Amino acid sequence: MRATPSFRSLTASLGAILLAAAVSGCATPPPASDPEALADFKQTNDPIEPANRVMYAVNNGIDAVLFRPLIAGYRAVVPDPLRERVHSVVTNLGSPVVLANDMMQAKPRRAGDTLMRFAINSTFGVAGIFDVATGWGYPEHSSDFGVTLALWGVDEGPFLFLPVLGPSNPRDLAGYGAGIALDPLTWMGKGSTVTDLGYARLGVTVLDAKSRVQPDIDKALASALDPYATYRSLYRQYRQSAIDSTRNDTRATPPAWRVATPAP
Amino acid sequence: MLTRRSLALAPLAAAALLALSAAGPFAAARADDPATAFIDQAGKDLLEIVNGPGDTPAKQASLQQVIDRIVDVDVIAQFCLGRFWRTATPEQRQAYLQQFHRVLLKNITGKLGEFKGVTFTIGRSVPREADTGVATVIVRPNAAPANVEWVVSTASGSPRIIDVVAEGTSLRLTQRSDYAAYLGQHNSDVGALIAAMKQQADAG
Repeated sequence: MRATPSFRSLTASLGAILLAAAVSGCATPPPASDPEALADFKQTNDPIEPANRVMYAVNNGIDAVLFRPLIAGYRAVVPDPLRERVHSVVTNLGSPVVLANDMMQAKPRRAGDTLMRFAINSTFGVAGIFDVATGWGYPEHSSDFGVTLALWGVDEGPFLFLPVLGPSNPRDLAGYGAGIALDPLTWMGKGSTVTDLGYARLGVTVLDAKSRVQPDIDKALASALDPYATYRSLYRQYRQSAIDSTRNDTRATPPAWRVATPAP
Repeated sequence: MLTRRSLALAPLAAAALLALSAAGPFAAARADDPATAFIDQAGKDLLEIVNGPGDTPAKQASLQQVIDRIVDVDVIAQFCLGRFWRTATPEQRQAYLQQFHRVLLKNITGKLGEFKGVTFTIGRSVPREADTGVATVIVRPNAAPANVEWVVSTASGSPRIIDVVAEGTSLRLTQRSDYAAYLGQHNSDVGALIAAMKQQADAG
């Protein structure tokens, strides 16, 4: 990509903000004489909160000038039924990564679901445009390497708010990088066409994800007194529930249709 | 890093109360345990109001009555203030509860229009410590289906909702961290929080 002057000045100002954030530094823990406040501080687990809040503001700016117009355009141009089909395609393309994580999490039933979904939806579902597999007894679930790390016992670490990527933590950030590395499409082929297709897929994936979650996030934050803290709490809870539901998925390996149903 | 399944359906949590209004045919069939039956009935009551006759102010007034009956607002409010409830003066507690009721009601009734075309089905109920969680799947037009769990407590003698968990995010936990953060930034002054809540309730 050619760096236009405006892009360069954007990165320059981003750099300046990052520096300011680093200098403005860390949250001051409450004094030891106030044990309840200290316990709250530890539970919040956001030692670089001032810097994170700066990043939250930066991210809101990026959303306002870049992603919101894009989402609005996407929703205006592409009707809802078609957006659902786009979502199916994007989800199907993500299946190999989900499968790899299912396997690393030692969840054979989930891995089986994902494998069958990918096989069925890529063929009968016409390259993933239609989700046939759910009706055939292979429900969808998502997963990522952040969840895998959690099941391996890795601690989430302090809260992070990142430009563009949004709320995160060291574990999920590492998981995000690993997710890219785990994706066969990252490594498939060479040449400008493949690269362009890769960018196109990334763009559509981001649009799809953002247009699905943004309205709900906006509504949640609109009624908050401290939107940053609310976002932090929502992200943590959401990730924890993804981890818990994976851990608690102890379904037997054979799918339901293979298990003889006892007579009532 | 918000991939795939939608994060942050907590707005829905506040909103989902009304979604009960669209109680589907499945609701009646499984209403065998008390908590499930309670959620089923609560949905029917709300359905009657939302789809019934009357203008918006009349509906809001009837909604307030139903919400006060089926939701243990005071228990939720106390939970949301966390450790600051103990240090608050009796006057502050009363003012806080009053504003909490107003904000909650405003968050729910302000979204009457969003409940058009919403349907839901009741799933199984699971024990949640001393309480019961009733699972529902809420289907909204132009959005992915959402898993919403209703936590029902019988501590007060009759069953009442004490939390709504939308896609793994608890309404009261989220609210508590919001208030805690606000208080953290305002010198732990409960009076400032009450004033901010009043402003929220008065706005619009």
